[in-house]
Amino acid sequence: MSGPRYHRTRAQDQRLLAFECQSCGYVSFPDERRTCKRCGDAPATFEEVRLAERGEVETFVVQEYLPDDIEVPQPLAIVDLPQADGEGESARVYGLLTETELDELSVGTEVEARFRELFDDGERPINSFKFAVPREVKR
Amino acid sequence: MTDAHVVGSGIIDFGEKYEWSFDDLLEGAYLDLVESVDHGIEPTKDIDAIWYGTLDIANEGASGASVAHATGLFEKPATQIVNACATGSDAFRNAVQAVKAGDVEVALVIGAEKMLDSTEGLIGGAALERLWRGRGVTMPAFFGMRATRHMEQYDTTREQIAEVSVKNHENGTKYPHAHQQFECTVDDVTESATVSYPLNLYDCCPVTDGACAVLVTNDERAREFTDAPVRVAGYGFSTDSFMRGDDLALTNFPASRQASSMAYERSGYGPDDVDVAEVHDCFSITELITYEDLGFCEQGEAGAFIDDGVPHLDGDKPVNPSGGLLSKGHPIGATGVAQIAEIFEQLRGEAGDVQVPDAEVGLQHNIGIGRNATGAVSCVNILER
Ligand SMILES: [Zn+2]
Repeated sequence: MSGPRYHRTRAQDQRLLAFECQSCGYVSFPDERRTCKRCGDAPATFEEVRLAERGEVETFVVQEYLPDDIEVPQPLAIVDLPQADGEGESARVYGLLTETELDELSVGTEVEARFRELFDDGERPINSFKFAVPREVKR
Repeated sequence: MTDAHVVGSGIIDFGEKYEWSFDDLLEGAYLDLVESVDHGIEPTKDIDAIWYGTLDIANEGASGASVAHATGLFEKPATQIVNACATGSDAFRNAVQAVKAGDVEVALVIGAEKMLDSTEGLIGGAALERLWRGRGVTMPAFFGMRATRHMEQYDTTREQIAEVSVKNHENGTKYPHAHQQFECTVDDVTESATVSYPLNLYDCCPVTDGACAVLVTNDERAREFTDAPVRVAGYGFSTDSFMRGDDLALTNFPASRQASSMAYERSGYGPDDVDVAEVHDCFSITELITYEDLGFCEQGEAGAFIDDGVPHLDGDKPVNPSGGLLSKGHPIGATGVAQIAEIFEQLRGEAGDVQVPDAEVGLQHNIGIGRNATGAVSCVNILER
């Protein structure tokens, strides 16, 4: 799949830029909107915040059956990333994992974002991140 | 304001219908309905409007014109509803609203899906998309996330999740229109191939062609068609997303809670009043967490609920007597309509080998996933005899 859509969220993909609703504190990632998904404020006022690179796995799966052009196993997690300055709420982030060993993964496992080229859209590389278990946390 | 009543239903056997075109599916369900209305029907004269549910996965059924072509019901309003896995039940809900409003006297609700004509298959081509981050989230992954977290948070066991599939396959062997008519054991489920850890092949519904239709009318006309109409007591529809940050959405579906709350409030019934339910079991885990979302048991107690046999055919609150999506199949546009048809039969005492004795109140539920696997839609309808 090609096209501009993957390039619209470059700051989110590469710098973990997120958006905090000034009414309810919800942290939107990757969506940059003028309406709030949680409180419905419209127009809402958002302030840019940076997310920390480390957070906790809230839940995960390991996908074993995918279209032929995607390698398996392909683990996927929902990770809560706190804000980099330690203030406010975390953002709930979908992300691929590098770990494929179930022994290394559980709800609550600490992971960190590792930035890399994830794939290309047919024309240009898309740089984003995958989550990995930091070396000092590995069992 | 009038009530709405279901006064007829028609269905084709679900399965791999390679010999049937998409129009054949629609026509088959429609003719079965026409031929089974107790007191008969003159379709072109009696039917005022059509609500038609399909995602049109086969790409040959778009717009209300398609259902007119398949049934011969031209010169009438015909509305296509597309709402993820709640497509069929939302088509029904829209028809009910129009009848209750007095704008339509007799409505045909019909849903169909040809799942097996797609060359790329569901995993490759479905609404899954490639996420913005680049790689797809499949349906088994989306639901599997809930399984992983539910097991961790509530000590739900893999065997309890598997038991949903065992129960529904057993029911499906007794339901004549079910696609997959075989029994399986907990070991069969837990030892089948991993699709998306923690879910295995037998945790997943099959890929199935099917169609189903029901007839909805008002107080005044209901007994023109049957002496045993089934009243629509309530309905609800809602959307939600785990992206909103609620921890409950990591294990369950807030959209199902909202939709069922609306339906309970509108009907005056609560979860304890439900005698039989047809709920969304696209995956085994989906039905398990739905017990909680519909209030059939407390949060986190779904494992014990099924261990105690409550949702089994001979239990206190039978769930998916038709075999559910796991056995009957999940032709998306038809799925919700077929659940309504099953509740209609249950409440009329016509459900054959899967009849729940003396069922008076029945509930139908779908949960559907949309928006690149981040959002959920839920529809709940409550019927009573
Ligand atoms: Zn807000």
